[in-house]
Amino acid sequence: MNNFREIKSGSKPLKQAYVALMLWFVGRAIAAAARVDEAVKAEFDGLPPGFTFSLGVMPQGPTMIVGKDAQGLVKYLGWDREGKKIDLQMKIKNLEGAILMFTFQESTAVATARNRLIVDGEVPAACAIVRVLDIVEVYLLPKLIAKLAVKRYPDWSFGEKVLNRIRIYAGAVLGL
Amino acid sequence: MDLPGYYEYYCGVKIIAGHDALEKIPGILQDLHARLPMIVTDKGVAGAGLVDIVLGAVKDKLTIGAVADDVPPDSDLRVVNRLAALYREQGCDALIAVGGGSVMDTAKGINIVVSEAADDLMKFSGAGALKQPLKPLIAVPTTVGTGSEVTLVAVVKDHERHLKMAFVSYFLLPDVSILDSRMTLSLPAAITAATGMDAMTHVVEAYYGLSKNPLSDATALAAIRLIGGNLVKVTKNPTDREARLAMANAATLAGMAFSNSMVGMVHTLGHATGSVCGVPHGVCMAILLPYGLEYNRHKREDVMGELLFPLGGSDVFAAIPREQRTGRVIAYVRQMNQDLHDASGGRHARFFKEVLDRHGKPAVPRDRLPDIARTALGDGSIFYNPEELDYDDFLMVLEAAWEGVALDPGRIRT
Repeated sequence: MNNFREIKSGSKPLKQAYVALMLWFVGRAIAAAARVDEAVKAEFDGLPPGFTFSLGVMPQGPTMIVGKDAQGLVKYLGWDREGKKIDLQMKIKNLEGAILMFTFQESTAVATARNRLIVDGEVPAACAIVRVLDIVEVYLLPKLIAKLAVKRYPDWSFGEKVLNRIRIYAGAVLGL
Repeated sequence: MDLPGYYEYYCGVKIIAGHDALEKIPGILQDLHARLPMIVTDKGVAGAGLVDIVLGAVKDKLTIGAVADDVPPDSDLRVVNRLAALYREQGCDALIAVGGGSVMDTAKGINIVVSEAADDLMKFSGAGALKQPLKPLIAVPTTVGTGSEVTLVAVVKDHERHLKMAFVSYFLLPDVSILDSRMTLSLPAAITAATGMDAMTHVVEAYYGLSKNPLSDATALAAIRLIGGNLVKVTKNPTDREARLAMANAATLAGMAFSNSMVGMVHTLGHATGSVCGVPHGVCMAILLPYGLEYNRHKREDVMGELLFPLGGSDVFAAIPREQRTGRVIAYVRQMNQDLHDASGGRHARFFKEVLDRHGKPAVPRDRLPDIARTALGDGSIFYNPEELDYDDFLMVLEAAWEGVALDPGRIRT
């Protein structure tokens, strides 16, 4: 067996970079949405203080980490797991699966159905985070694309959606 | 056929089915290099004489190391540890689980403890924690619904810490499952009806769910044909051995289907109703199944319509226009519930307001429906449902299922 040469997979730097950028942006957008959107806020209110979750790609990332502090404030905590207690880990099994999800060729639900995700943690918390991800995707994406990403496109009023979208984009890009 | 771009399917369980399949146990154990099995069962199964049938079938050819007949209705960590100790004391080297879902889960839990020489079952909870094959496990189901005899999951409660631990591994699959008509002959009519509708729900949700695939479809369609042709018949005539064997096969096929394509909102709401109000799982499934079909209809109309073929037969299928087939399927399922209600002398519940607890009081008070809806929001089976559901949607479905009226299509958000 030892005579076989180890073959390492290619690094696919462009795809890595794209997924890393998406995760960075979605992580910051989640933190912003928790301040702006009542449904997202309610989902985080139902989670315990200090709750932290990660969404990343196996085997070595990229990853984004979002947590709620003792005061209930939701923050984007970067990509480095070192020193952090993660309550819920959602891991996409490989980079190609992540590309399918983040180019919206596969919705979160279909990716789950096709066994592309591993969830390590409490299931009720995972359900809440999936609902949060769905809401954030609707804010971040044009309707035509968001409809591919979620099971049911919400019937929000135009004014509410536009105003919240601006605030979430501002929060994600500028950290406002 | 709607072929998924990617899917996974596995069922590594040998199935032995027949009117005298139990007699194969000694030979099976010999093939598995085991000589002293422990039988795990519960008081109800033992009291009904089913363990005696198993013992009679293997007598003179096999020595039984121990018979543990006190598994409670909910698998419990303390029971698992106690029975694992008994297994070790008696020097057993295999397990025979004779019973329903709780017995199967307990036997799987015992198998983890004795195979891994573990002192804490918790170390092995979740998915992928088991790394090596376990001791030989033979499953002998005595109900016709759970499908645990072919599933890779075990759920064990820790009552002290109020935890419900799930163990998921291909190593938890039994080595062999034995379907023998003698094992379900004494099952009461109402339980036959409810567990049969549990199997029906497994296959219907597997067939229209997001994880459906050609292999789960094949087993689902075979199961539906068997359930459609035999469930009402066997509820009317519990001693019909052919129908009993057909239902045992159907439940196993259903287990193969749903463990590879998962279930949806009917199970989401059923788990929540069971958790909040203690209603038996099969009863919840029977009541909620028509609502799962109605709620998801706009997303899965064509797929659902295909179910009319195994349910109604080729002539009915051919005679009904495509756009009317799903409606006929829903009507067929509701009629099955009515027929089972009649065949069981009114003990098979058709809607939640007629479900009674053991004291004869309503088991699902209407004012608990919001609690059930909130609990449902945290159940993972919802991931696999075709349509989204939030709290308001769950409550709308529950109110209709409580009253026993069809869903108002105008209230289903698309």
